[in-house]
Amino acid sequence: MSDDLEKRLRAALRPVDPGESFTRGVLERIGSEQAQPRWGTRRTRLRWVSAALAASILLAGVVAHQWQAQRTRRGLDARRQLLEALTVTSHKLDIAYRVVNDQDDNTTASDPDDRT
Amino acid sequence: MSRPGEELLSQALAGDTAAFGALVRSHQRAVYSLALRMLSDPQQAEDLAQEVFLRLYRNLSSVGSVAHLSFWLRKVTLNGAIDRLRRERRYQAVPLEQAEDISGDTADTDPLLERRLRSLLRQLAPAPRAVLLLRYQEDLDPTEIARTLGMSINTVKSHLKRSLALLRERIGEIA
Repeated sequence: MSDDLEKRLRAALRPVDPGESFTRGVLERIGSEQAQPRWGTRRTRLRWVSAALAASILLAGVVAHQWQAQRTRRGLDARRQLLEALTVTSHKLDIAYRVVNDQDDNTTASDPDDRT
Repeated sequence: MSRPGEELLSQALAGDTAAFGALVRSHQRAVYSLALRMLSDPQQAEDLAQEVFLRLYRNLSSVGSVAHLSFWLRKVTLNGAIDRLRRERRYQAVPLEQAEDISGDTADTDPLLERRLRSLLRQLAPAPRAVLLLRYQEDLDPTEIARTLGMSINTVKSHLKRSLALLRERIGEIA
């Protein structure tokens, strides 16, 4: 029974030929696809748009990273310059303080009447 | 006289459209029949089969040999048919009157029983239907069927066993 059913199935499922027009149809579709411009098919366009989008995102990331790095570098430069200026100012003030102090000491030493 | 398959394949790869046309002619029967028996609609089957050959044309470089070409064509056709059936959610029976269009070459067998078998086949879900087609139309063994459909051999055997039992039961009901 099983063999009989299998034999009948094989007979029922004999391949069917779509005819000569089928091959022509395939070759025509290939021809029309090749005739389309490079940007013609929807799939090609979608691929290009996706690639452009990915490239834009990558570029934006690189630019943002560079901008942030430049900003940090500028901040560090400004900090260094400020510290340098403060050091110079502090040094100058120290000199001025010492000059004023020395003058006061000299005045006190040269006036003996002031001693009580 | 038809040129040997490997030679046709290498000529098609080199851009010979006539060689590609000959390749199509030598495989169109199998591809169209699989599409037809899966979709039960001659127009849809022709559209799917043409699409399969267009995809072949675009991916010809990835097909290394004629043996792989047959495997590739079966796989792409069946996956395409299953996708279409899932999209359209239609694998109900087609009236028997329409079965006339999709019968094979006539032979000295029982045409009514053959029609009935094809009609019953259309009532199966896409996966077991594909398994039966590869077994009885393409004459593949369970290992080759499993490889083509990406299933385990046990699943293939189970589909075959259950589908044959179902067909036997339905045929018995009619008889």
